[in-house]
Amino acid sequence: MSRKLAVIFLAMLVLVGAMSLKTIVVTHGSSNSSIIMANGGAPQPPTPWKNGGAPQPPTPWKNGGAPQPPTPWK
Amino acid sequence: MLGPYEYVVWLMCTLLETAVVVCAYKKDALRRYILLNVYMAASVVFSIARYNILSHYGFTSKEYLYFYYYSDALLTIVLYFALMSLYSHIFSDLKAERYIRIGTLILFSGTALFSYAVVQQSSSKLVTHFVVELSQNLYFVGLVLTYILWAAVMKMRETRTRLIQLVLSMGVYFSLCAANFALQNLYQSRGNFFEFLTPLFGCFLPLSWAYTFWHLPEDARIVPSRLAVVPR
Repeated sequence: MSRKLAVIFLAMLVLVGAMSLKTIVVTHGSSNSSIIMANGGAPQPPTPWKNGGAPQPPTPWKNGGAPQPPTPWK
Repeated sequence: MLGPYEYVVWLMCTLLETAVVVCAYKKDALRRYILLNVYMAASVVFSIARYNILSHYGFTSKEYLYFYYYSDALLTIVLYFALMSLYSHIFSDLKAERYIRIGTLILFSGTALFSYAVVQQSSSKLVTHFVVELSQNLYFVGLVLTYILWAAVMKMRETRTRLIQLVLSMGVYFSLCAANFALQNLYQSRGNFFEFLTPLFGCFLPLSWAYTFWHLPEDARIVPSRLAVVPR
């Protein structure tokens, strides 16, 4: 039982380490190069959620140019 | 638009992937390293299918885009299980196959759940987001696992040359991808240079595996150097 728990613990530890590493890399990376690895030598198309070369619109939660109000919990 | 360079590198990569399976078959390593060979065979099949779709629909078509990313996710999953099969080889003396299988499945399920948790907030193209996210997350898990495996090879003083070569080549491949990504972010103005360089990295893994299967016999032994010299 303890060995199985140790395996689960190690697997979770690896997952946390890998995701932390990814967070560090992606946070410091540019938004254009979100694909890090590609298998094989086939030419890589643009990411599926960025079809075409049109400029990216502003985020939906910032409509208009009005100044952002202070957060309700402050 | 794709130029002759992209096509030549793609063809070279596919030929090298075929060479891995052929070399493994010729040297009786096909069954022993079955998941590594399944990964290479799947890469060849997907390369041919990608070329067919590319030539029918074009590079900027949605058909090619979706097929590329879905097949890439499948290949990454197979590569993950191939990496875990190397763990089974390394820890075969400890009779730990059962625990490695459990750990493999738990880690894979955890990565899939994490990927789903990340993408569930995006309303559109949920499945596609999930597929790409899972592929990239598995890449990072593979990167960490490869370094842990290399540490285990050093600690256990593994001597099987072919196995060491396979683990090392995987470590170099993952590191090349990570270094490429980091340099791309550092030097964004040199985008053309990295577009030239990136496809070449795809050839590294099949090249090193083909070399390993062809040149290194299964009974070849090597002693890896110590991790650190301990003064007496």
